[in-house]
Amino acid sequence: MRKLAVALLAAVVAVATPSAGGSAQSGKVAMLLPGSINDQSWNAAGYAGLQKLKAQGMEVAYSENVQAADHIEAMKDYARRGFSPIIGHSGRFLSAAQRVGPEFEKTFFLVGSGSGGAKNVISIDIANEQFGYLVGVLAGRMTKTGKVGAVAGLEGLPNMIASMGGFRLGVKSVKPEAEVRVVYLQSMEDPAAAKEAAFSLIAAGADVVAGKLNAGHAGLIQAAKEKGVWATGRSLGHTAIAPERVLTNINEKWDEVYVAAVGDLKGGKITGGYHAYGYHTPAARGADLQYNEQRGFNTAVPAAVATEIEGLKKKMASGELKVKPTKDDARGGA
Amino acid sequence: MIEDILAASVRIGTPLLFAALGGLLSERAGVFAVGLEGMMLAGAFAGVIATWLTSSLGLGLVASAAGGMALALVVVIATQRYGADQMVTGLAVNILALGLTSFLLRGFGARGEAPVLRVPTLAPWPIPWLADLPVLGAVLFRQPPLTYAGIVLALGVAVWLARTRAGLTLRAAGENPYAVFAGGTDPVRVRALAIVACGAIAGLGGAVLSLQQVGTFTDGMTNGRGYIALAAIIVGRWRPMAALAACVVFGAADALQLRVQGFRLPVSSYVIQMTPYLVALAVLAGVGRSARLPAAIGVPLLRERK
Repeated sequence: MRKLAVALLAAVVAVATPSAGGSAQSGKVAMLLPGSINDQSWNAAGYAGLQKLKAQGMEVAYSENVQAADHIEAMKDYARRGFSPIIGHSGRFLSAAQRVGPEFEKTFFLVGSGSGGAKNVISIDIANEQFGYLVGVLAGRMTKTGKVGAVAGLEGLPNMIASMGGFRLGVKSVKPEAEVRVVYLQSMEDPAAAKEAAFSLIAAGADVVAGKLNAGHAGLIQAAKEKGVWATGRSLGHTAIAPERVLTNINEKWDEVYVAAVGDLKGGKITGGYHAYGYHTPAARGADLQYNEQRGFNTAVPAAVATEIEGLKKKMASGELKVKPTKDDARGGA
Repeated sequence: MIEDILAASVRIGTPLLFAALGGLLSERAGVFAVGLEGMMLAGAFAGVIATWLTSSLGLGLVASAAGGMALALVVVIATQRYGADQMVTGLAVNILALGLTSFLLRGFGARGEAPVLRVPTLAPWPIPWLADLPVLGAVLFRQPPLTYAGIVLALGVAVWLARTRAGLTLRAAGENPYAVFAGGTDPVRVRALAIVACGAIAGLGGAVLSLQQVGTFTDGMTNGRGYIALAAIIVGRWRPMAALAACVVFGAADALQLRVQGFRLPVSSYVIQMTPYLVALAVLAGVGRSARLPAAIGVPLLRERK
C-alpha cells in the first residue's frame, strides 16, 4: 500500500546533480534509503555520507523510503544509469544486492550495515558491538536501581545482535547482578510505540533506557524526559530533545564510513565480503560517543566513568578487548 | 503493575478512540470509513505544521481537525457526488495522505530535504482530588487533555446518536436513506456532513500521536492505527461506548505485549508483537459474526436516482 506513494515520492525527491567535469576521478554514487532522511537517526546519517561524497565532486542520487518490494528494481535502475557504487543504506538491501550483483558485474554494491557478500557485493558496517558495549558500561555505571532497559527492532538481524548483545555484555561487565531488559518493536519508525515501550521498561524499574531505533528513537527520549530517567540517543538531535536526561549518543559517522569505504573500494582495499569500521580502524572509526559538538558525555556522568570508557576505547583500538555478542546476549526480555 | 498496564492501555487506546468515533459516525450514516488511517495521518501532519508555524498548540489542534476534514472532503466528493466505491476511495485516500504528507513535509526543508519540526507536547492535566485516587487516579485523572476529550466525546456521540433528532436522522441515512428523503431531508447531505465530522475527529486522533505523545511528525507515523480503529468499530458493533471499550482492549493487548517481552520467554519477539493483531482477529471472528452492519452502508445515493 505504501508502494505507490513511495514510488511517486522517490520520483519527485530523487535528485541527480550533474558533476562539473565528469572526469574519471569523480564517479556516480547512488543511495537507497529505507526511511526518510529527516529521521535524525539512521537515514539522516546515511544521507550525510552521500552529501560528503557529493562535496568531493561525485555525482550523487538517492531514493528515500524504498520498500522491500522495490529494492531490486531500484538497484537495477541505478545500475543501468551507470551509478557505481550503489549504496543500500541498510542490511535489508543485502539480498537485493546479491540478486542484482551477478547481473551487473562491473557495478559495485555497497550494503551499509550488511553482513556478507561476494565479488562486487560488499557489506560494510560500524562495529556495533563496540559502541553497544561502551553504552552498556555507561548504563551499568549510571543505574541506581540496578535495572536498565533497551528498545530495539528487527530482532535477530546481525547488526542488532551486535548492538543489543554488546549493550548487555557491557552492562554485565561492570555490574554482573544488573537486570538488562530488551524490548523489540514491530516498527523502528513509530515514535509513539517506542515511547510506550520505554514507559513499560521504566515502570519495571529501569532508570537508564538505551536502544536502537530510527524515527522511533525520539519517542524513547521523550519517555525518559517525562519520567526523569537517563537515556542514550543516536544523534546530537536527541540531546536537544532532553539535554538534562540524555547521557550520550552513539553518533554514527556513516558519512565518514561511506567516504572511507568508497575510497577503499577505489583503492582496491576492500572487496566482496564484510568490513567493519570501529576503534580498530583509526581512519574512520564508524561512530563515537558524543553528547554534543564539544562533549562526549552529559556533565552528570562522573569523570571516572568517562575515563574508564576512554580506556576501553584504547583497548578496542589495540585489539586487546574484543566484544563478541551471541544471539542469546541480544535476547528480548531480562 | 495493574495501574501501569491500565494507564498504558488508556494512552495507547486514545488515538484509536478518536479514529473509531469518527469512523462510527461515518459508518452509521452509511459510508465505510476505510480512509481513517489517512485522515489520522493528515491530522497528525497538519497539527505539527500549524503548531510549528504559530507556536500555538490550540491552533495546532484546530489544524489537525481541518487536516482530517480536508481528506474527508475528498471522500465526500468522490463517494457522494460521483458515487465512487467507498472501499476503493478510502484506500486511495490513505495512500494519498501518506504520499502527500511526506511530500509537503519536504516543502518546509531546504533543498527538498525533510526537516525535523519539533513542537511542545500537550502536558497532562491532573484533575484536583480525583488525581489522588488510588489506581483510578493514575489511570483516568492524570492524563493529557485529548484523552479526557476522547472520553467526553464518546459519551457525547453516544447520547447524540441515541437521543437527538439529528442523531436519528444520521442513523436513518445509514439504515434507510429513502425514508430520510421522504421525511424531507437530503440523505446525501447527511452523509456528507457525517464524513466531514469523521475527518475532523479522526484528524484529532492523529493529533493525539503527534501533539500529545511525540511532539513531532515523521513519515507514516500512524503506522496502521486507522485500521485497528476500524476493527474497534466492528467489535464495538457501531456503538460509541462499546467502541471505546474495544479501543482500551486493543491498547491493553499492546501494553501487555510490551510487558510480556520484558520477561524472558522462549518465544520470538516477532510472535509476541503479533498479539494485538491476533486479539483483534480473534475478537472479530467471535463478535464479528453476529455484528449487523447498518443496512444501507456502502450503497451509493446518487441525486439522479432519487
